[in-house]
Amino acid sequence: MSAQRVVASAWRSLARSKARSFFMMLGVIVGIAALTALASVGEATRQETLRQFKRMLGTFDTLTIRPGAGSTRGMPSLGSVEPSLKFPDGPAIAAGVPGVKRVALVQQAFDLDVSYRDATTVPLVLGVSPNWADVRGESVASGAHLSEEDDRSLARVTVIGADVARVLFQGEDPLGKVIRIADVPFQVKGVMASRGAGPGGASLDNMLVVPVSTASKRLFNRDYLTTLVVQLNDANASDRVAEDVRALLRERHRIIPPAQDDFTVGSPRATLAQISKVGTTLSKVVTGVAVIATLIGGAVIMSLMLIGVSERRREIGVRRAVGATRADVMRQFLVEATLISALGGAIGILIGAGGATVGALLQKLPPAYMWSMIGGAVALSVAVGIVFGLYPAWKAANVDPIEALRS
Amino acid sequence: MIEANHLSRTYQRGDGTPVTALRDVTFTIAAGEFVVIRGASGSGKSSLLNILGCLDTPSSGRYRLAGEDVSVLPDDERSHVRSRRIGFVFQSFNLLPRATAVENVELPALYTGAAPDRARARKLLERVGLAERAEHFATELSGGEQQRVAIARALMNDPPVLLADEPTGNLDSAAGESVMQLFTSLHEGGRTIVLVTHDEQVASFADREILIRDGVVASDTVRRERSPA
Ligand SMILES: Nc1ncnc2c1ncn2[C@@H]1O[C@H](COP(=O)(O)OP(=O)(O)O)[C@@H](O)[C@H]1O
Ligand SMILES: [Mg+2]
Repeated sequence: MSAQRVVASAWRSLARSKARSFFMMLGVIVGIAALTALASVGEATRQETLRQFKRMLGTFDTLTIRPGAGSTRGMPSLGSVEPSLKFPDGPAIAAGVPGVKRVALVQQAFDLDVSYRDATTVPLVLGVSPNWADVRGESVASGAHLSEEDDRSLARVTVIGADVARVLFQGEDPLGKVIRIADVPFQVKGVMASRGAGPGGASLDNMLVVPVSTASKRLFNRDYLTTLVVQLNDANASDRVAEDVRALLRERHRIIPPAQDDFTVGSPRATLAQISKVGTTLSKVVTGVAVIATLIGGAVIMSLMLIGVSERRREIGVRRAVGATRADVMRQFLVEATLISALGGAIGILIGAGGATVGALLQKLPPAYMWSMIGGAVALSVAVGIVFGLYPAWKAANVDPIEALRS
Repeated sequence: MIEANHLSRTYQRGDGTPVTALRDVTFTIAAGEFVVIRGASGSGKSSLLNILGCLDTPSSGRYRLAGEDVSVLPDDERSHVRSRRIGFVFQSFNLLPRATAVENVELPALYTGAAPDRARARKLLERVGLAERAEHFATELSGGEQQRVAIARALMNDPPVLLADEPTGNLDSAAGESVMQLFTSLHEGGRTIVLVTHDEQVASFADREILIRDGVVASDTVRRERSPA
């Protein structure tokens, strides 16, 4: 029998007992739908996490240098970091390491009161070099960014985040107004465009920036940095550039291995790789659960197929009498089981993907589908049909036609 | 065409004791003969027909079909013999209930590797007088109609030999009569027919009668000379 006719005949046989076919499929539908939905929701969540990190990290073509050895947890603040990263380190890297486009300097603190008239807030306060906005890809909603001239002249000007503007000015136009940062007056020069939410959904707009020279001399009175943001010409060269930056800083800081570095070079790509890995672990657990559900579906197919084989003994006898070989009968039942399971898988994928889409939209996330997982689901449902169809098909092939045909 | 040489068939009962259904059965049936195998219930007729139809193998003895010893063939080759050289008709029709008449007739063609031939299936239904019932499900047909569909099915692969086990056993006399008429005309068309029955009335349609008693050939009578094929 040709493959096409085997499938057509199996299809007819299934179509003729729709109720049984449906119940056979049910387990696989549920398992595969769960697999697809969980995987897709997981994928949507993972992609959203990546987007949040991307927003926090700004661009991907950067390296972040922090003072101190090892990875510091949380946000570094001037009061708590080692005073090892100095202002001249920035220009030295920009000039001395090939592949570096520019270096932004940052001093940050988040324990300063900021007030305007009666309103007070405690935002993240950043002293930044004038190129910071370009390096990070930040834009202003109104007013202007900090300029070279602001930095050179130690101007007391600030560009404030959207949250700070809202809390301090409550609808009033902040441009040109004077706010007090730790009791030092600063004139608002611009309002930043909203940066949205970072990891965990926290707002990234509760912040303001001032020229880093002003911050150093008039606000913090510190001559070291909390962060150097190194922008690369080519994001793919980040590993090599990171190594060159380390070598340069060791030289400048007179660190001779095995002495520990007094700085840490991090790359957003490494961080993102870490996040992606976490997502993978989660999806493995999810996959395991759904695979088990699908296997239970396979067991359902097997038991209903076995019932079907005993109900269809006479049919098997007739087919054998008119010339079907054992292999023909085996193939017929195997194809039926596989068709049922694959069909259940297909329906499951549609339901699962539909469910995931609804779920993502309810969470206000753009839906995402994990295609590798969906491909796996298809393969799994076909495999389940074959594996769980084997025993019933073997049973069918070994029905004694004489016995089955006896009236 | 059919040569049975000292065929015996012994079954194993559930409790292990042997039952001998056929003992040293020997006869030859020439191509184009219409033979009835008659005997009481339990005399071994079905056992014999199953061996002749390549569904079963003898415990001892030889069975040749068209000169070939088919009793020693492996299972799948016996399937091929059934597919091409034998058409079966059963007492209880054995149509697939969820398939239409024409699909039932087509069934044997599924296992020949040839292209599907619905036109031939329809022609065969016409031949047995059921052209207008082609799309009816088996369960919607009367017993006589079902048996005629079964005969059309047996003819699908154009086998030289037709074997029928009590084909009129489940039919009223009118339907039985028309089924026997059909066998007679098929015989006149040149087919070799071996028909099992316990009914003398039915046996009268055949040219020759082999009487079986307790698994042994009791008599072998030619009723009338072979009609010219
Ligand atoms: N599979 C079997 N196992 C045991 N005994 C059987 C089996 N098939 C037939 N028999 C016995 O063989 C004898 C002949 O049976 P069968 O060929 O069906 O006779 P008939 O068709 O003439 O009624 C009976 O005694 C029956 O009980
Ligand atoms: Mg019988």
